[in-house]
Amino acid sequence: MVVQSRGLRDKYCIVGVGETEYSRASARTTRAMAVEAIRKAILDAGLKAADVDGMLDYQGGDSTLANSVASDLGIRFNFYMDVMGGGSSTEALVGLAMGAIEAGMCNTVAIYRSMNGYSEFRIGGTGARAAQPVRGLDLAQVPYGMRSAGQNFAPTFMRHMFEYGTTSAQVAHVRVAHSKHASQNPKALLKQRVTVQDVLASRWIVKPLHLLDCCLETDNATCIIVTSAERARNLRHRPVYIMGVAGRVSKPRLDFHWAHGPISRVAGYYAKDIIFPQAGIGPEDVHVTGSYDAFTFTTMLQLEEYGFCKKGEGGAYVSSGIIELGGKRPNNTSGSHLCEGYTHGMSMVIENVRQLRGAVDDYCPRAAEGVHTYDYSPGHCRQVKEAEITMNLGWAMPATGSALIMRR
Amino acid sequence: MPQPVQYRGMALIVPDNDSEWKEFYEHARAHRLVVRKCKACGLMRYPPTHACPWCMELGWTWHEVSGRGTIYSYEIVAHAIQPGFKEMTPYAVVLIELDEQRGQPTPDEALRVIANLVKPDFTAEAEANVQIGRRVRVVFQDLADHMALPQFTLTDEPPVGRVWRLPE
Repeated sequence: MVVQSRGLRDKYCIVGVGETEYSRASARTTRAMAVEAIRKAILDAGLKAADVDGMLDYQGGDSTLANSVASDLGIRFNFYMDVMGGGSSTEALVGLAMGAIEAGMCNTVAIYRSMNGYSEFRIGGTGARAAQPVRGLDLAQVPYGMRSAGQNFAPTFMRHMFEYGTTSAQVAHVRVAHSKHASQNPKALLKQRVTVQDVLASRWIVKPLHLLDCCLETDNATCIIVTSAERARNLRHRPVYIMGVAGRVSKPRLDFHWAHGPISRVAGYYAKDIIFPQAGIGPEDVHVTGSYDAFTFTTMLQLEEYGFCKKGEGGAYVSSGIIELGGKRPNNTSGSHLCEGYTHGMSMVIENVRQLRGAVDDYCPRAAEGVHTYDYSPGHCRQVKEAEITMNLGWAMPATGSALIMRR
Repeated sequence: MPQPVQYRGMALIVPDNDSEWKEFYEHARAHRLVVRKCKACGLMRYPPTHACPWCMELGWTWHEVSGRGTIYSYEIVAHAIQPGFKEMTPYAVVLIELDEQRGQPTPDEALRVIANLVKPDFTAEAEANVQIGRRVRVVFQDLADHMALPQFTLTDEPPVGRVWRLPE
């Protein structure tokens, strides 16, 4: 089914971003963290609490709802909604925020995600999550010791290796690249650069995934503010325009996506036909990508499915140097989920906003003034020179994904 | 139906009003692997659903399948998440493509099932034997008077297509 573009390209902007410290022991509630992240994003935009009249957030029974965090900040709603979900929600909610504003329901929407993803509800499925009773659709997988994200996704990568000859060493380059980027990021939990050999020598979690193929469970809150381009022009930063958005585009049989193959195909197969026509560009026009790295191979699968390389050639693409700072099209320049901290996708959109502003928070002496050295040796710059168009590829699971194209 | 059923530290909950799974597990306890078959178009689906995903027909019947199939993909869990699986590591989770309805109604579709690849005594199959393309058959792991888990075990049949496992 063809989705007709509604002609909203460049009519909405992301004007504010903010996050708390990435940690593994926040020692506070998701409410406290959400308030900090939203406040930072409001101030970043140059707005006041009274200017924000819409709110969207997402969670999986592990966070605080909008009614309490908004009240803490003195925000009165014209629109709000709490949404169930994890990865791929960020881009989807950016689109819903545009829709709410376009419908005349509100003017400016703050989108947040807050979680104690390490110290309270571990994303990896241990602790409270592992103890939950098994019922309904979970009975098709969980009784077989298939509960965590890694366990849920691994057969997709295994089949890709079988069909296309993709190797562990190839996708290890995703970790290598993202660790390089994290070494330029004061916020990152893991700033140490790693090698392909480090990844391959790390212990097995669920074959074909090593420990270093997996992201970092993290405590944090993040916030993104969406408003109309008209309002954005009077705010603090140069506007970052939304060219196109696709939200939670899914493969058939979402109840049990294994029923519809090839299973090495992921949701971008469908999403690309929505987002690129909206934006009026193709993959070759994108300068920086943010491809959801819950695992090394999820980044690879999405880049290939959206057409940054041919289907089946994702392993060669991610190991070619293209995705590293200094390469043709750097991916996840903050170090993102594998090295910076796990945010359910929010941080990759935040990073691309900062890239488009020319204002990433790296170690350049004059970074605060937006002056960068473009020296990508350890402990220096991560600003991409003349980054004009970015694309986020959000992942919930092999069968569901979202996407967002922005420009400066 | 007495519940929950305890298995490897998990509480498996299949209440009397469970319109999807209750009868499925009762058939499994009688060592029959059943799927839902559409009364209109005749296509089968798994897991149990309430309308036909191809023609939206509401009518269906339980249909017993042979329980024979081929390993389509797999993983080897080295680090168990659920405490009750730690003693079973390393264990294989396999995606089985059943013989019935392969490549129907489109070449990309099949009746596929998730299970563990086990030896006949339900311990984990040796990792070296877990390979895409190997043939398997269903076995039933009895958990309670009214519930058994379908599992799969290797057979001696010749493999289907290329046989492959993750290189060491």
